[in-house]
Amino acid sequence: MSEHFRAFSFVDRITAVQKGSRIQGRYLIPPGLKDFPSSLAAEAVGQLAAWAAMEATDFENRPVAGLAGRIDLLAAARPGQVLEIAADIESLDAEAVVYRGHAKIDGRLVVQLEDCVGPMIPVADLDEPAALRERFAVLCGPGAVPEGFRGLPPLSLRRTDGENGQCTQATFEVPAEAALFEDHFPRRPVFPGSLLMQLTLELAASLATEISPPMRRRWRPRTILDMKLREFIPPGKSLELEVRLKQRTNESVMLAVGSRAGKDMVGSARLLLAPENDL
Amino acid sequence: MTKEEIMAIYPKIAQIIADALPCEIERVKLESSLIDDLGAQSIDFLDIVFRLERGFKVKIPRGKIIEEARGDLPESEFDQNGLVSEAGLARLKTFLSEVPTDRFVTPLRVADIPRLFTTETFCKMVLRQQRAATAPLRTSTGMSSGAVSPTP
Repeated sequence: MSEHFRAFSFVDRITAVQKGSRIQGRYLIPPGLKDFPSSLAAEAVGQLAAWAAMEATDFENRPVAGLAGRIDLLAAARPGQVLEIAADIESLDAEAVVYRGHAKIDGRLVVQLEDCVGPMIPVADLDEPAALRERFAVLCGPGAVPEGFRGLPPLSLRRTDGENGQCTQATFEVPAEAALFEDHFPRRPVFPGSLLMQLTLELAASLATEISPPMRRRWRPRTILDMKLREFIPPGKSLELEVRLKQRTNESVMLAVGSRAGKDMVGSARLLLAPENDL
Repeated sequence: MTKEEIMAIYPKIAQIIADALPCEIERVKLESSLIDDLGAQSIDFLDIVFRLERGFKVKIPRGKIIEEARGDLPESEFDQNGLVSEAGLARLKTFLSEVPTDRFVTPLRVADIPRLFTTETFCKMVLRQQRAATAPLRTSTGMSSGAVSPTP
């Protein structure tokens, strides 16, 4: 069975659309999954915005992950729950789409994205325009058959160096083959930026355990700021990730995160941690 | 626009560029080429323009600098098979007067025009957009606000 629209697709119904302006949809998190990282809830919002942008350009161009000014990680999403997702397109032209959006579960915010900028590239470079047009019609009509996503491939970091409570480094080998590459994207496999974000969150979480929290509470990722993806990451690429403490107060911790492929910086962001009870 | 006007907004624009790249603000000189001196990539230009829009409350259409540099010169007379024509180069040198002439290599590919952009180029762009925004016959560029209609 083809993995296109299954292995890394997180919109299974578009419930309302105002061309080039606003879009709403939903996604049933397959009940059989072990977990559903918050980065995938953010991915769902980005994918919904991408559908709006593609429709507005008559499926000639599509956005890819580029900049996210602010991503608030507000609650956990669990298998079996339904994400209600929405995106507002603030501007759209041949070069970029600017949008904000959110995902909710039972009316409660799970993730919220602000000031996102997606560079536009020709749809045909990544995917089959006719297939996307057909899929959009399905999503706007009866909706897709849910539960296509069967989980992520093993993505493991190998910690290489660090300084207790100050910084930590790790390497990550992007899988050379994985079902998700048949969906993201069929004509040009690219490791998703949201998964790079997820790996960064995991590395940050390990550093967070080394930073003494106030009142014996744990630090948890609260907000990702100024996330930027500089280039496509192909299958099989070796990455080096680093998380570094920038500032600590009793109420929060600010970390700088970055990922490199050799000498080239491929991604960067700042990550705000807050005490667990404040989330 | 005067040097005083440019210098008045330069510190804020330098901070925006330093935050976007990111780099130390001391490296962001008025004459710095964003690509050659500061290592900016295409995604950084999107980032900088987005931050300038937010920071100065102006709307900067993508590709605005090249469009304005071209002026009334038809695109076909500016861009000849991906290279900037002689007439186009003359327009660019006038429009980007802040760029040292030795940076205008020939032939100049249209795709390489952003290599010429300096911090001052962005100062001038913001000033032009601020003036356009306060001009009496300005055009709204806001998003529409109609109701969301359900899909079938």
